[in-house]
Amino acid sequence: MRRVAVTGIGVVSPLGNSAAEVARNALAGRSGIRRLERPFASRLAAPLAATADFDGTDQFDPARLRMLDRFTLLALAAARQAMADARHDPAAGDGRRAGVFVGSGMGGSQSMDEGYRTLYGEGSDRIKPFTVLMGMHNAAAAWIGIENGLRGPNLTYSTACSSSAVAIGEAWLRVAGGSLDLALAGGAEAPLSCGSIKAWEALHTLAAIDAAAPPASCKPFSRNRSGMVLGEGAAMLVLEPLDAALARGAPVHGEVIGYGLSNDASHITQPSVEGQADAMRAALASAGLAPAAIDAINAHGTGTQANDAAETASIKAVFGARAHRIPISATKAMHGHLLGAAGALEGVLALLAMQQRVAWPTLHLLEPDPACDLDYVPNTARLGVPARTMLSNSFAFGGSNAVLVLRAAD
Amino acid sequence: MTSTFERLGAILAKDYRIESETLQLDARLESLGIDSLGAVELLWSVEEAFGIQLPHEPVPLATVGDVVDYIDAQVAAQAIAGSGQVLA
Repeated sequence: MRRVAVTGIGVVSPLGNSAAEVARNALAGRSGIRRLERPFASRLAAPLAATADFDGTDQFDPARLRMLDRFTLLALAAARQAMADARHDPAAGDGRRAGVFVGSGMGGSQSMDEGYRTLYGEGSDRIKPFTVLMGMHNAAAAWIGIENGLRGPNLTYSTACSSSAVAIGEAWLRVAGGSLDLALAGGAEAPLSCGSIKAWEALHTLAAIDAAAPPASCKPFSRNRSGMVLGEGAAMLVLEPLDAALARGAPVHGEVIGYGLSNDASHITQPSVEGQADAMRAALASAGLAPAAIDAINAHGTGTQANDAAETASIKAVFGARAHRIPISATKAMHGHLLGAAGALEGVLALLAMQQRVAWPTLHLLEPDPACDLDYVPNTARLGVPARTMLSNSFAFGGSNAVLVLRAAD
Repeated sequence: MTSTFERLGAILAKDYRIESETLQLDARLESLGIDSLGAVELLWSVEEAFGIQLPHEPVPLATVGDVVDYIDAQVAAQAIAGSGQVLA
């Protein structure tokens, strides 16, 4: 297996539209969660969301913009950033040995939502002509391949909230295994249409609004947590063999060194402690590491009662007594739940945390929960954390769990 | 009365940033950045602007002039069909 470097990072997210901006805001413990200002907000029980401040008009011409669902727009912008960051010359290398791996839970759901509104809401039969091309789940990966001349595998993964961790892991396997020399891997999600938010609301998974402070509505691991807040965004990584990256003088932000999968096979929404622990153990095994090698964890940490208690238990199951001494960050309190893009954004945050020797804060953790008794780095970032190896956990409705093992650059 | 060519030019100006002042009837759609997929969208916008319904069958439209002729033919055909309905 070859060592695999992360040479490019691209982010469009509620915490900022570059890695530097995301790191700055995470360090300051800012929340990108806001009261949602949309015409349909009054129809929501809790009008909250974490939005990305990006409309693409300065980067894309109008004819192209009309062809892109928002999830594809965010993905393309993140991919452009990542490729520029990696200083990768699109003309260099064999395009057939370069692949695209994108995770998305809901794909072009906004375009489908808009089409349905036209059909059923307005009673019109005139659906926009590009609705299929915008709604299809592989649109983001397809456009990234087209823009960058990447002619190898062009794959889209949809495993709900673990989608982009899967995408990065599958890309890592191929670059490490030698079948690809370059991969653009990550995820994108744009679930902030009325239809999508109402569907999540109906499932009783969304946080109640904190009336006094809407940005504080998502409270992972806190006893008074009431659910997650939906967010939109994209994060993309450029992966390439470490030796090739060093040879061409590319920036190395860190390495992907392991990836583990498991399936709960038990319940469509209830998380399984055993399933989560299995994914962490599989990730450690793929990296050839013992649990003692993990210095910090970016938790799945959604802020639901069920996830945070199960994740606490699964971390204890894997790490034993040492679980209490591992800094665990639940960054979703800051950037919301990006669903299929969550694993990629949180992977980026893990790499940035190791680069900057910090543990990101878990915001709004003011009421300790006896069922959540680990070190979640409450409320303020911790400085001088010498973490070299981190897990990034992504667990999903449906039970498909994915865990990445990331390492700081040498 | 605004000609079909002028109305089409307004759509091209708005959706494709094409300068309608310099637009020629013999300009090829591809030279304006409108490929076969773009033409699908263009005809959808034409339907909106002209209040007509175009056939679903694909038609070969190479130039701006082809589109103008196609629109005029469809407008005329649908006007006749419409007046027929009124008379009936």
